[in-house]
Amino acid sequence: MITTPDLIAALAADAKPVRRLLPPLARAVGWLAFGVLLLSFLGIVHGLRPDLADHLRRPVFVVGTLAALITGVSAAVACFLISLPDRSRLWVLLPAPSLAVWVSTIGYGCLTDWALIGPSGLQVGEAFRCFVTLALTSVPLSLVMIVMLRYAAMLRPTLVTITGSLSVAAITATSLSLFHSIDASMMILIWNLGTAALIVTLGGALGPRLLASLSPQRMPDRA
Amino acid sequence: MTSAASQRSSAAVPDPEERDRDRALLMARAQAGDRRAYRRLLEDITPFIRALAARRLRETSEVEDAVQEVLLTVHAIRHTYDPRRPFAPWLAAIANRRIADQLRRQTRRNLRHAAFSLQHETFSVAEANLEDARSDAAALRAAVEGLPSGQRRAIKLLKLEEMSLKEAAATSGMSIAALKVATHRALGTLRKVLGSPRRST
Repeated sequence: MITTPDLIAALAADAKPVRRLLPPLARAVGWLAFGVLLLSFLGIVHGLRPDLADHLRRPVFVVGTLAALITGVSAAVACFLISLPDRSRLWVLLPAPSLAVWVSTIGYGCLTDWALIGPSGLQVGEAFRCFVTLALTSVPLSLVMIVMLRYAAMLRPTLVTITGSLSVAAITATSLSLFHSIDASMMILIWNLGTAALIVTLGGALGPRLLASLSPQRMPDRA
Repeated sequence: MTSAASQRSSAAVPDPEERDRDRALLMARAQAGDRRAYRRLLEDITPFIRALAARRLRETSEVEDAVQEVLLTVHAIRHTYDPRRPFAPWLAAIANRRIADQLRRQTRRNLRHAAFSLQHETFSVAEANLEDARSDAAALRAAVEGLPSGQRRAIKLLKLEEMSLKEAAATSGMSIAALKVATHRALGTLRKVLGSPRRST
């Protein structure tokens, strides 16, 4: 094993200039701006759902969508904050209130819709288009976030992955509720809660390893 | 610059705030590529990291491993430090994280290597409980000493010190093939000398 003074000498010799990170809020805003760009692009290509105006008169829809959006924004801010070593991990609680509201509106909408429409509302065609929107929103958002946060693998990989995934899931859910007329209770339940749970679980399970493999090379390696 | 960082012994520095400012300044210069400032900073923080690690880790080698892990992490993510913020919390968070990792590794290793208690040493196989095991060991040691030097070295490195073939080759300067042949021959000789038909491992 290399001795500590030798290691210090080696690290000092390797001290190339580095670019400091921007403040976490600025980075969160940057990432969210990318999200807005992505959603506007989808909006132009796909078009908003035809019955959006009707839905905007329904308080549950408005509250649910707003709560999802706020969850997405606050989880992103929390994620960029706790990715830094000297910030409190309590920031993880920032998206909790809006998350609670969002989840509770999903449950409510699902119950009322179930009674009105019934389980036959699950259509393959719409499901497939939903899935495309889902992938087009969540995959680029996740990839950009992973690249922006790869250094966090060495500090709090699990917390960062969970808040990051929550943010991606919430923004994806927001985009789904704007672009797709998915009134059937099963659909909302599967997509909103299911994708959030899936992304958080997958992110929690694979994220640390994924981030670790992408994290900056630790020079020099000890023999 | 008459900075606190230039003094190796951090205990001699009176004002922690001033020391923190010095370290923040040194890190800011290190981020800009100033190798001398960076070296001074690393030398300055090492005793602090070591003290932090020694509080939670028992063995000196574990402590030193943790110190080096912390230094490597500091190096890898030095761009995440914002010089407008205090340096100590940034360093302490990294150090605590790496020390906790080291502690976890140590615990896992200890779980795998459970120490045998006296009860564990009684096996159901009759030969394992022979009273004269000690004299057997003495006979084996004598037999090993009686081997030709190449064979003796191979047996000692591979079987008694449990090195891998690669490590043994590096230590002895013998090739892997030569080590294998020597071990094979040595085992044959030992079997003959000790008069046991059983295959020794």
